[in-house]
Amino acid sequence: MNNFIARRPVWSLILAVLVIAAIWLVFAPWSSGFEAIFGRKKLFLNAVLNGITLGGLYFLVASGFTLIFGLMRNVNLAHGSIYLLGGYFGYLAVDATGWWLLGFVVAFIVAALLGIVLQVAVFRRMEGQDLRQTLVTIGISIVLADLMLWWFGGNSYQIQTPTWLRGPMDLPLITAVKSSGETVYLSYPIVRLVIFLASVVIGLGMWLVLNRTRIGMIVRAGVDDRDMLSAMGVPIQLVFVTVFAFGAGLAGMAGVVGGTFQSLSPGEDTRFLLASLIVVIVGGMGSIPGAALGAVIIGLAEQIGLAYFPTYAIVLTFLIMVLVLAVRPQGLLVGR
Amino acid sequence: MDSVAQRLSTVGSANALELRGVTRLFGALAALVDVSLTVRPGERRAVLGSNGAGKTTLFNCITGDFPPSSGTIRFFGEDVTFFPPYERIRRGLRRTYQISALFPGLSVIDNVYLAVRGVSRGRYSFIRPRRNDTLVNAAESLIQAVHLTPIKDRLVAELAYGQQRQLEIALALAGAPRFILFDEPAAGLSPTERAELVDILSSLPAHIGYIIIEHDMDVALRVVERVTMMHNGRIFKEGSPQEIEADPEVQELYLGGGHG
Amino acid sequence: MALADSRARGASRAATQPNSQSAWLQNVNPAAVLVGVVVLIMPAIASGFVLTQIFGWTYMLGTIALSLMFLAGYGGMVSLAQMTIAGFAGYVVAILGVNGVPGGIGWPWWLAVPAALILAMVVGAAIGALAVRTVGIYTIMITLAIAAAFFYFANQNYAIFNGHTGINAVPTPVFLGVDWHDAIPSYYLELGVAFLCWLAVSYVARAPFGLALQGIRDNPRRMAALGFNVNAHRIAAYVFAAVIAALGGILLVWSYGEIAPGTVSVSAAIDILVIAVVGGIGNPIGAFIGALIYAVLKTFALDVLVAFGLDGNRFRLLIGLGFLAIVFFSPDGIIGLWARWRNRARRGSPRAQSTGGGHG
Repeated sequence: MNNFIARRPVWSLILAVLVIAAIWLVFAPWSSGFEAIFGRKKLFLNAVLNGITLGGLYFLVASGFTLIFGLMRNVNLAHGSIYLLGGYFGYLAVDATGWWLLGFVVAFIVAALLGIVLQVAVFRRMEGQDLRQTLVTIGISIVLADLMLWWFGGNSYQIQTPTWLRGPMDLPLITAVKSSGETVYLSYPIVRLVIFLASVVIGLGMWLVLNRTRIGMIVRAGVDDRDMLSAMGVPIQLVFVTVFAFGAGLAGMAGVVGGTFQSLSPGEDTRFLLASLIVVIVGGMGSIPGAALGAVIIGLAEQIGLAYFPTYAIVLTFLIMVLVLAVRPQGLLVGR
Repeated sequence: MDSVAQRLSTVGSANALELRGVTRLFGALAALVDVSLTVRPGERRAVLGSNGAGKTTLFNCITGDFPPSSGTIRFFGEDVTFFPPYERIRRGLRRTYQISALFPGLSVIDNVYLAVRGVSRGRYSFIRPRRNDTLVNAAESLIQAVHLTPIKDRLVAELAYGQQRQLEIALALAGAPRFILFDEPAAGLSPTERAELVDILSSLPAHIGYIIIEHDMDVALRVVERVTMMHNGRIFKEGSPQEIEADPEVQELYLGGGHG
Repeated sequence: MALADSRARGASRAATQPNSQSAWLQNVNPAAVLVGVVVLIMPAIASGFVLTQIFGWTYMLGTIALSLMFLAGYGGMVSLAQMTIAGFAGYVVAILGVNGVPGGIGWPWWLAVPAALILAMVVGAAIGALAVRTVGIYTIMITLAIAAAFFYFANQNYAIFNGHTGINAVPTPVFLGVDWHDAIPSYYLELGVAFLCWLAVSYVARAPFGLALQGIRDNPRRMAALGFNVNAHRIAAYVFAAVIAALGGILLVWSYGEIAPGTVSVSAAIDILVIAVVGGIGNPIGAFIGALIYAVLKTFALDVLVAFGLDGNRFRLLIGLGFLAIVFFSPDGIIGLWARWRNRARRGSPRAQSTGGGHG
């Protein structure tokens, strides 16, 4: 980070100011004059927290996407469909047994199996043909979308939050100070916080595996130079299948999360594919930390936009993407 | 864009190519270190050195594929350090590539036509050229100059290796070149083809200067008047071909008792 | 057979041959002339339904797919934003003209259409400027993101786009005493536009602009070293493609009489890609072949599926499976299949000089 500050003093200053401003906005009570201009602090805090927790969900989806691209140079445009498929199957599992956690397991397994089949039966035969692989993923997304429409119909499915996660909890964030002097704290749904924490844990886990284990080293080496890796006798196809299965499985689990946070219906696949695309364009392709940063930025942009200018929210997200493309086309956390 | 007067005032007084303190880093790898080089208009220079000495990086920097990490590059008196490649090409710089950089899906004449078009106006023209189009004629005479007229309609993908190398040279001669960078033009050529290459290089008009990167000393030393030796990204010796050939340091590092 | 081999080369090599300037017409295939005649007299043979549902769609969607083919086949840039530009132009015509949503600025068509084309060129340039910041496979990603963003925006925004409902009651102009919305006039209008666009693309492919674009596709670094401003050229290509897509979109809005976010949905954008790839991005006529297949499928899928005892709504499933089949077995599309069949039929006899037939 010192390197960053040394090389880009102006940007560092801007970022520092923004961070300080953000911290003040979140933690300090707002005066009524301030609120008259900017709206209620509770709205702001909710938007920020919704944005961050949504960012956690986006990270789960986008990290699989970026991992698959980073290693196999495969832009998996069926990723959104895998999200939805995992979500639907997770819903079935939760609906049948009442066990929320089982939903994750089932979603992961279904999505990972699909990933294995795709990698072994399809992509393996098209090694090196990036465009062709991407076209195949488009075809698969069309087929999956229609199959899911057929099987599950056009209804919205909502996965029930388990009882042990229901309800709100109080956070040490002040929303207002009453005239009696009593401070009011923000109460926020527990399930969203738990899922966010889980995303962080998964993200850290992925980072640790990639950077501190042997298999992670192999994956990173494969990202840099695939041919060298297979020349060294590493079973490269096995690595590919594992990574694809894992990436797909993550997307499937994210489907259960999305089904709990929001709902599952046709069209959600497009929505989360778009989110993955924008997140990795902003954060940088092939970068897990990039996916995390991009996810938080996009999640915040979306929720703040939704809170303050609903019909133009998408414009904000889009502008961020355009800005990154214009200034740093390789993504925020990827070197040139 | 410089005014014509400014441009004319630099011709004749300025060096064709002037590098000062050019350094290029790729992460931790220093491909070029403090390279300073001066080539006069019409001068013929060879840049020699072992693999990894930085010769091709030097060419890439001069062409503008990437800017130097530090230092300046002047072309006929103009500071082109941060110019994109097309700006340099339009000012008279040309380049050939060690591995033929052609358009395999297009015919020979299409390839040369593009080269001629690239340095003329009307690049965005929607009108197909007519029968006696100047540029088409220019392309055809270029093809004649490199003895490729019989196969001018053949797809580049179907050409023999030697023919592709000839086409590379034709591309570099398009328009009105003032200075050419030849990157290992003799690589993979047969002795006859090599003789032809020496022919072509020697008979280039006197005002066109060039730098040639070569491993084949025979070809290189015959077509240049001055030699620059590079090693580990630095220039370590300069002199006439005879001086360099006779130099004991050079012999030890590169010639190893004989040359070939 | 790889997708890379389906790179378009454009028509005969006449561009740089010292022939007459109409040499490119000399290589016209008799089969193509036959098709041309059939297409011209089609209104005498076919019912209004067939004219609109099959051929109208072929011409309109084919034109939009042609714009994608131009970028992908000649430029190596696969843009999923072509339907977006087409729909955008349709929206502009609807908004600037008279429409059913109270509002509509009320411009006559001969003002609204040029305005739509100019705005489409601006949008095309903007999309191109974004897309050229990255190379290769990223183009698909970025243009897909743009297409999706525009869809969501049009869907949510009521001030300009009238949100989910869209804009209806968009009239087709009455011009020269003809109501161009009627079946036969609209057929010829759509055919005319499609033909002109096809002609333009085929011709430009071997003009300096198109040739340079092909060079950029094959070796952008070399083109830069020949004196071309590669990115400026690519953006210019996007602008040219935008005009073609916009023409298709304007025809669409006149044909439907309305425009809604569904026209620019992500599915619609992907369908254009499917059409272009199935037909073959190696040749301009591929776009129309793909569109014909799509239109026929869409019209008859319901009956065919039901006849097989399947759910009649599974049209998109057929599209997806058909697309996958093409990508697996013939990535250069129907054109590629036909070229290979023709070569096999010719084996044994000396291979004739490539005439206009296979290469359009």
